[in-house]
Amino acid sequence: MKEVLERLGNAIIEGDTEQAEQAAVDAVAAGIPPLVAIEDGANKGMQVVGDRFARFEAFLPELMLAGEAMNAAIRVLLKALPADQAATAQRGKVVIATVSGDVHDIGKNIVAALLTANGFEVFDLGINVDLKQIMRKAKEERADIIALSTLLTTSLPFQEDVVKYLVDAGLRDHFYVIVGGGPVGRDWAGQIGADGYGRTAVHAVELCKRLTEAGRPPLAQPIVLDYKG
Amino acid sequence: MDRRLEKVLSAFDRAYTGPICTAHDWDARVIPQKTRAIVQKYGLEKTYNPDHPINTDDNLADTFFRAGMELALEVGVLCPDTERVIKVEEKEIARTLQESPREMVVGSGFDAVVMKHRLPEDPYVPLVGAPLCLVVSEELWVPLVVGLVQKRDLVDIFFGPSLPTVYGRKVRSGTPLETLVGRYEIELRREALYRAGRPDMAQIGSASGVTEYGQLGGWAALAGPTHIANSLSPAELKAPFASFHKVIQGINFGNRLRVGSNSYIGGYAGTSEGAVVLNIAVDLLYSTILGADYVTSNIYDARQFGNCGREGVWANSVATQAVSRNTHLMRTKIINQTAGPCTEMLLYETAVAYMAVSVSGASKICGPRSAGGKYPDHLTPLETWFMAEVFKSCAGMTRTRANEIANRILPKYETQFGNPPKGKSLTECWDLQHQQPSPEWAEIYQRVHRELVDLGMPLREISW
Repeated sequence: MKEVLERLGNAIIEGDTEQAEQAAVDAVAAGIPPLVAIEDGANKGMQVVGDRFARFEAFLPELMLAGEAMNAAIRVLLKALPADQAATAQRGKVVIATVSGDVHDIGKNIVAALLTANGFEVFDLGINVDLKQIMRKAKEERADIIALSTLLTTSLPFQEDVVKYLVDAGLRDHFYVIVGGGPVGRDWAGQIGADGYGRTAVHAVELCKRLTEAGRPPLAQPIVLDYKG
Repeated sequence: MDRRLEKVLSAFDRAYTGPICTAHDWDARVIPQKTRAIVQKYGLEKTYNPDHPINTDDNLADTFFRAGMELALEVGVLCPDTERVIKVEEKEIARTLQESPREMVVGSGFDAVVMKHRLPEDPYVPLVGAPLCLVVSEELWVPLVVGLVQKRDLVDIFFGPSLPTVYGRKVRSGTPLETLVGRYEIELRREALYRAGRPDMAQIGSASGVTEYGQLGGWAALAGPTHIANSLSPAELKAPFASFHKVIQGINFGNRLRVGSNSYIGGYAGTSEGAVVLNIAVDLLYSTILGADYVTSNIYDARQFGNCGREGVWANSVATQAVSRNTHLMRTKIINQTAGPCTEMLLYETAVAYMAVSVSGASKICGPRSAGGKYPDHLTPLETWFMAEVFKSCAGMTRTRANEIANRILPKYETQFGNPPKGKSLTECWDLQHQQPSPEWAEIYQRVHRELVDLGMPLREISW
């Protein structure tokens, strides 16, 4: 059992998707309870990468590849769980995108990778993503949170458009909406009726954790996580 | 055929025939793995020395240049629209380095200026483009620009700021309103530059139209070689169709071409050494593939989304020196400050980072990015003029001296990146009617100016 769990953790540290998937299959075949494999294998590996990233010893690519390996392993392990346990084994589903007109992706990719590292199932739609694509994916995956990024002031209105669309379509109580990015200030989430703002990727993760424990959307006042002061 | 167009078309052909690669594989595997391998091969790991925030080692700069050249030849540039890699051959880069302009005149009449290739410690006074595309409200835009450009000896080329609205309507990228704002901004520019007495300044565009729509919508109104078309690509080493649209539009109307991309410490390049190697490859590849007359290539630190910290200053200094020493390419550098107007920190960040790129051989800068560009209307003429004064006055200073001064200033602000002060907005600390700072902002400037002069910076005092 220990060998399989170590192999699973190491595959995630190395960002090796195939090996991570195989280790998860082997764990299930060896009769290791999937929740144990997630906790003592996959999460431990991801924790190592997350800690290295925080110490600036690992960088965005390592985090991205580890997140992908983690996702592959988790998919195998969740299939081996009864449906009710599978639903509680993950923190929540996040659809994330850089909104229309904007092709910047580094900040969004860091957030996506850190969310994965922290147990969220992340659907990264990429850059320059329009409202229709975001809504389609959020509905299809029954997402808990829609996370919208932009580095451009001329793409900020697209964040507002998503919230307004949800309200007008009667879907506002289906999804939390969080916003972030270079020109996004602490007041913006409140101005557009979003549920939260995180200044940094670490803030975004904390925000998602709080929202998944907050009950049904939307919040009356957004959660704003910023530098002190 | 225009030689630049020849290069662009040749590259565009390869965007349909080059090796296939997804953007994901490019970002997560190709760029990080190749960069890391080349950094190792050239023995450049851990060459960042925090005690020398401005590089003074020519051999190190030259080794970085060779590494950057190898990376450029090894990887090329990805066209994410076709998922193909545009590879280049050594002879193409060699021809680009031979043919690229060493100097050029932009602007006309009394506003004509000469941009030149500069070496490290070069006494030739470099050019200042201002400001960056920070958001300024429609009603404040013209009076602010009048103030920004009125100092003929400090501001040479006009660029921003950005308009968030057009006729009061929010501008959304890629929509018809962006096409409209492309032209609308040019008309506001004309009014502001005329009122400031500088109608013939060179202009870089477009500040409000960030996608190709804004440029296609308005830039034809500023045709000719005295103005500069702008084509920036997303990190790292990518050339989407949008970048090609912009350079071809610039060539169509006879503009000069400013082309480039950024690298991030902590991003796909990994370490600061990796970001330097990538940054050098940007200079070489964008000149070759997108026909740049000059390149804008900047290194930012992903931890701060700025580059005024010790590691960001070092990375930009060594990358700038590497290309300055080994080519005659002209480059513009951008500094992202994190603190806002009416704060000491903004002036300290500006002093260190612009001194570093001045003594390292940058031909031009564009700035400032007060408060990281995060807050609307957080931009004043004073920090713009101060930035220009630092950059120009440090021309000819030795890197050793600059390094000593930087080491004295950095401790005054480098612990504040976790919580940089937002500062005050334009109307809170600047009198637009008389074009002068508030007493508080003036006092901060005068105090910091005296302090920096005492430390050895050759700054003149700016009057208003």
